[in-house]
Amino acid sequence: MTSFVLGEFGEEKALLDAARALRAKGIGTLDLHSPYPVHGADEALGLRRSTVPIVALVAGVTGAVSGYVLQWWTVGIDWPLNVGNRPPHSPPAFIPVTFELGVLFASLSIFFGLLFAYFRFPRVHHPVFEVEAFRSASIDGLWLSAAVGRTEADEVAGDLRRLGARTVSIVPEEGTP
Amino acid sequence: MSTTSPKTIPVDPLESAPVLVGRPDDVALTESLLRPVLEPVRKGWLGLLGILMAGMGFWTLCLYEVLFKGIGVWGNNIPVAWAYDITNFVWWIGIGHAGTLISAILLLFQQKWRTSINRFAEAMTLFAVAMAGLYPIIHLGRPWLFWWLIPYPATLQIWPNFKSALPWDVFAISTYGTVSFLFWYLGLVPDLATLRDAAKDRTRRIVYGILSFGWRGSARHWQHWRVGYLLLAGLSTPLVVSVHTIVSFDFAISQLPGWHTTIFPPYFVAGAIFSGFAMVLTLMIPARKAFGFEHVVTPRHLDNMSKVMLATGLMVSYGYAMEWFIAWYSGSPTEWFAFYNRLVGPYRLIYAVQLFCNVVAPQILWLPRARTNVLILFLLSILVNIGMWAERFVIVAVSLTRDFIPSSWANYSPTWVDWGLLFGSMCTFGVLFMLFLRFMPAIAISEVKELRRELEHEDHHAAARTAAEGA
Repeated sequence: MTSFVLGEFGEEKALLDAARALRAKGIGTLDLHSPYPVHGADEALGLRRSTVPIVALVAGVTGAVSGYVLQWWTVGIDWPLNVGNRPPHSPPAFIPVTFELGVLFASLSIFFGLLFAYFRFPRVHHPVFEVEAFRSASIDGLWLSAAVGRTEADEVAGDLRRLGARTVSIVPEEGTP
Repeated sequence: MSTTSPKTIPVDPLESAPVLVGRPDDVALTESLLRPVLEPVRKGWLGLLGILMAGMGFWTLCLYEVLFKGIGVWGNNIPVAWAYDITNFVWWIGIGHAGTLISAILLLFQQKWRTSINRFAEAMTLFAVAMAGLYPIIHLGRPWLFWWLIPYPATLQIWPNFKSALPWDVFAISTYGTVSFLFWYLGLVPDLATLRDAAKDRTRRIVYGILSFGWRGSARHWQHWRVGYLLLAGLSTPLVVSVHTIVSFDFAISQLPGWHTTIFPPYFVAGAIFSGFAMVLTLMIPARKAFGFEHVVTPRHLDNMSKVMLATGLMVSYGYAMEWFIAWYSGSPTEWFAFYNRLVGPYRLIYAVQLFCNVVAPQILWLPRARTNVLILFLLSILVNIGMWAERFVIVAVSLTRDFIPSSWANYSPTWVDWGLLFGSMCTFGVLFMLFLRFMPAIAISEVKELRRELEHEDHHAAARTAAEGA
């Protein structure tokens, strides 16, 4: 059973300092919630470099290669069509579609990769939303959340108060995998 | 609203106006930017929507004519097989390009002024591409068979001819539409969550909750979001250039005098951005007034957009001049005649409109005062829209009326269906835009909040510098 401990902070510096302090103690899974990307959050949470570019590169190359192969095989091999006496395999004429499919695949992989693989969306019901005041996380609030074992929750809540959180709440997670 | 007075902020003397008036706090920003969505429906909005819906109804009627009677209801003939439909297609797709330029290219160049107009411009792109995509499809004559353009193993056992520019178009436009939508929506997700949280009623909370997929502003998500957003911008940048290049290939790789020109790709791309910026101004000037966005869309934005318009207008003018030069320099009598025909032929009035609206009129933007005068800018933006439509008509249709053999020459005149599809598509675009303004955050809220942080940082440094110099 995990519990989510939520703390709301008044300014970025206090939020980041609290994240660093809790991380130094090695507490659960930490996360920050803010209406805009807070500079320095990656470093404070010790996040590794995003792997999205690699996903996009692989998808983009796949798209471009399959675009080229598609054209080469269909009009070069399967049904050679002589228009204006261009050779069946005409590389310059195949560039536009190859490029477009590369961009298309890369973009689709970024969008759907982000939403479904990286963010694990759709998840409209998350324990942090149990706290009514958490609404401010998309308006003006700076929040820190820690997913911890139920026994640790009170201790972490105490830490958050000490680190300058204006409000602290604990949400027990019920029966989620 | 707790706003500090703009006067207290040290302003860079080289900057004519701020990109954000005052330093409203996040609550005030959220409130002011979401007001169009959360406030009760306005009578003016409903009235305008009604008028536009009437136009959309007429457009539907025209589409019905085309679908049930065939494209013979148009004024098209042989040799003028491409006329209003293709002109409208190129015009709309060109308008869309400014949206991508603002949101993607200016993001890569870290232009701060893009932040408050990007969402707006992206929505314009999306709706313009939707309008554009329709024309080539109905022009097929049997549009219900449009999927024959997609390479799939059909029982016909035949494939699209990938050595022709028209299948390239299919891939370019569908990729462009898809990527524009993904880029727009990825940027919208955090703002839809803001809307979910700021809404007071249950229906909106549920609808926007679903649309935002459960975004919770997590730093672990923001990290990937930022990288993904930047990558999509990076991909859109060459994409937008490729799309209009491919559109220009529809003409440039043919043999027809007036079409067969190597300058087309850059000249089309510049023209697209020129007309697109004009359209952003046409839409933004009334909207910022009506919805009270004047603190985030400041005279500085208008000034910058005018400068881009002036620069791209000059590039387009260079394109016109170079077309004439090459027509003369090539020594090809048919090529020279095509241009001579534009100037003195039966469509000379349209060519004159093109030259006046695209070459002469934008020169007023050299005056700094004109660049921030909303009335002048609004009128000019409409002139440029007209001028760019005239340019496409001159290129597409007028070139076709006079090809190589005088015996095959024929003039073109539009029918009411041609006019109906043009004005009807503007109304339909307007309906989509009005719905967007009412139901979606029209300004990128999370990005404006981030911008405010950055500007405060700069204010802080500027203040420190002034203090140090004074000491």
